[in-house]
Amino acid sequence: MLSTDLFTQIGLGHYLVLSALLFCCGMAGVLLRRNAIVLLMSIELMLNAVNVSFVAFSRYLGQQEGQIMVFFVMTIAAAEAAVGLALAVSIFKRFREVNIRYFEHLKG
Amino acid sequence: MNHPILMATLLLAPFVGFLINGLRYKRHSANLAGVIATTAVVISFISAILLVVDLVGLPPETRVISVKFFEWISVASLKINAGFVLDPVSAIMILVITGVGSLIHLFSIGYMHHDAGAAKYFAYLNLFLFNMLILVLGDSLPVMFVGWEGVGLCSYLLIGFWFTDDQKAAAGMKAFVTNRVGDAAFLLGMFILFLSFGTLTFSEINQLAPTDPTLAWMNPVTLGTLFLFIGATGKSAQIPLYVWLPDAMAGPTPVSALIHAATMVTAGVYMIVRLNPLFLAAPNTMMIIAIIGALTVLLGATIGMTQWDIKKVLAYSTVSQLGYMFLACGVGAFGAAMFHLMTHAFFKALMFLGSGSVIHAMHEEQDIRKMGGLKKYLPITHWTFFFGWVAIIGLPPFAGFFSKDEILAFAFFSPLGHEALWAVGALGATLTAFYMTRLMALTFWGKSRVPKDTHPHESPPTMSIPLIVLGVLSIVGGWIGIPHVIGAILPGHPENFLEHWLHHSIKPIPGLTPFDVTTEWVLMGVSVTLAICSAFVAYHMYVQAPQKPEKVAKAIGPVYKVIYNKYFVDEAYFAGIINPLVKASKGLWYYIDVNFIDKTTYVISDVVRGGGSLVRSLQNGNIQVYAMYISLGLVATLLFLLVR
Amino acid sequence: MTPDVFLFWFLALTTVLAALGVIISANPIYSVLSLVMTMVGVAAIFVTLGAYFLAGVQLIVYAGAVLVLFVMVLMLFDLKHEIHAFTRGPVTGAIKIAAVGLLGGMIVGAIALSANSLMKTENNGIQTVIEGDSTKALGKLLFSQYLFGFEALGVLLLVVAVGAVALARAKGGTHAQH
Repeated sequence: MLSTDLFTQIGLGHYLVLSALLFCCGMAGVLLRRNAIVLLMSIELMLNAVNVSFVAFSRYLGQQEGQIMVFFVMTIAAAEAAVGLALAVSIFKRFREVNIRYFEHLKG
Repeated sequence: MNHPILMATLLLAPFVGFLINGLRYKRHSANLAGVIATTAVVISFISAILLVVDLVGLPPETRVISVKFFEWISVASLKINAGFVLDPVSAIMILVITGVGSLIHLFSIGYMHHDAGAAKYFAYLNLFLFNMLILVLGDSLPVMFVGWEGVGLCSYLLIGFWFTDDQKAAAGMKAFVTNRVGDAAFLLGMFILFLSFGTLTFSEINQLAPTDPTLAWMNPVTLGTLFLFIGATGKSAQIPLYVWLPDAMAGPTPVSALIHAATMVTAGVYMIVRLNPLFLAAPNTMMIIAIIGALTVLLGATIGMTQWDIKKVLAYSTVSQLGYMFLACGVGAFGAAMFHLMTHAFFKALMFLGSGSVIHAMHEEQDIRKMGGLKKYLPITHWTFFFGWVAIIGLPPFAGFFSKDEILAFAFFSPLGHEALWAVGALGATLTAFYMTRLMALTFWGKSRVPKDTHPHESPPTMSIPLIVLGVLSIVGGWIGIPHVIGAILPGHPENFLEHWLHHSIKPIPGLTPFDVTTEWVLMGVSVTLAICSAFVAYHMYVQAPQKPEKVAKAIGPVYKVIYNKYFVDEAYFAGIINPLVKASKGLWYYIDVNFIDKTTYVISDVVRGGGSLVRSLQNGNIQVYAMYISLGLVATLLFLLVR
Repeated sequence: MTPDVFLFWFLALTTVLAALGVIISANPIYSVLSLVMTMVGVAAIFVTLGAYFLAGVQLIVYAGAVLVLFVMVLMLFDLKHEIHAFTRGPVTGAIKIAAVGLLGGMIVGAIALSANSLMKTENNGIQTVIEGDSTKALGKLLFSQYLFGFEALGVLLLVVAVGAVALARAKGGTHAQH
């Protein structure tokens, strides 16, 4: 009985699991990739995963605030991407590569 | 004038001189530095005279000027003031110190004029006088100890003044280390006295000193005085700590005159005189002092007979004469000790300065075998030295006669004395006459043995004036203490001025009966006759028959060798004390310090450093690894929440 | 199997695969393209959840603007030939993968454990779900209750725009050697 329910009855739990998987993908990217730009992409991925769960909660709890939060998150994600890319440009100008390890040289 | 101001001037004038010369020692020329230093000391001398004049004006019973500048130490019951006290005893000392000091400073201007470090030399000399004045004027043992250490320091600096010569630097070190041994004993004595009396001020200790002499050895009075005496043997070059004084001759000759003849080495005697009621309460200590003094008289005199270095002879003579002072202290004749201290300061400073003049004239030659017949080249030096000579061998009516004779008389008559002590003293006087005559003969008389390329010349007036003044003092200096037997037959019956002067500062010897006049005359006659005979023998041996001394030396072969090598005392000290100490210290250094303490600390530091590098690898700057920590933390948090 | 259910499974699968593509492909360009795919998938999921406005914003802002920025930077640097896509260090790599796996597993586990309580909230929520067009309500809420946050974000964007330009223009980058 449960087995068919699990596939046919889509509920909050499904969306949350999806969100978790996306989040884990993004985190794996942050942890493992060398390229700073790919790192930034992975962060976008994690933020999106969070957005999915926000919207799902908003839907199933019937509250608009969740969507407001998504709105804010998106804006901040865009801002973060802009700054991150600017830094990546700086790093590239100096080292001709955007390896994340070069950020170790940032001081002061 | 105001006493505190005078006292401050007296003390601080040399210190200011030290600062002026010491801070600018590279820029001052020798003459300028000398004038500054001498002026400072003369100012000090003038204030000393003014103070003593004031002191004379006071009634004899309360003849004390004490000045307290500030409270120095105040811990529980221990209260020590930076206080200074002028009484008849310290009055003699400050007059000698600043007076002889001024003359020696004046002499130094001529003696050091060619030396590049003259300004430094004068700075040290002034610092020495400052400390010496603290030593004699201090109203408590700790204040005295400050000066005591200060003069030790200056002595070290001045002995090693030509420190580029390793031997001279080593001599300075020897003096310093030997004095440390004595100073440790001095400190112990101070502790014992503080424990039993609860005070360290001279006047209070002297008041509290028991009136009944105690014969117990483990009595605090006996032990305290004994330790203080050991301290005195260090500073005043007595057996067993005299070894530094002959080596101290490595310093410039005026230093030997000032520090190692006239002033610093008498500090031990002065300290005992200062505490005379206390020492009188400890007859055991007094006995030891007398015996040590008598032995030192003999030791110094015998070694002095065999030395060839003009300054070494004088150094051993100083050791011997200091022995007389301790002999006097030991038999309770503190006044006689002070008297001899003063006359000795005059004639020994004179002789050291004279030897300085000779050395200066001989271009730094000190071996008396290469002198002889200097009388015609150095007339002033010779005649002043001559008066020093008659003073020290005890010819009446010169200074040494009166003081030495008083000591011998007390050694005979005092209840604390003994006939044997008198005999040793008289023998010492005989030997003194011998070696001083030998020195005179080899240096000034007889045939000239001066090398051909040396042209002796008389010294400049800055050097000869002090010689003349001290020569006069060596003649008349003894007249302030003319003994009663002689005073009685002299026209006008001069009184023993010194005895009156010191009357209230010095406790009379208990049980002393008036001297028997006939015996005293006999004793006096015996010692003078012996001295004159021995002087004639020496004159004969070294002037008329120069080959004889060698024969005598051969005849008594082994004895001569032992004496010539100073009884092998230095060698014995090295074998018995210094080498074992050095070996033990090396062992401690190698096995305890290097192999245990150092290694332990290294292990500790290695552990800490290893731990640090372990932790450091966590913080390596790799952002992704940081992110990993965050995710691990997240995992742990979630795990905690789920399990709970 | 209703179309809704089918749609969900299809979108979920596509999105997750695209996300994996982002982190696996060695060439950053492919990563960006996969990311675009993910964003579109997420936008579609928003639609299934009835958040139409957000789905639009997602498409315009992410797929349209942010990812174009990424592509432009990548093209500018000519970074397509990546040899080592992943950071080195087998031990830390294993720990990282393990950490991620554990985290994912535990989140899923946690969701499964709390399935019952989730059901309840669902049942409570369903009644209040606004089935119609929620955009109007969202706008009202945003410009009334959350006005301050909205304005603050506007300021933030301005600052970020200026800052990003300044950073990127700095001569010699942040590591200029004087």
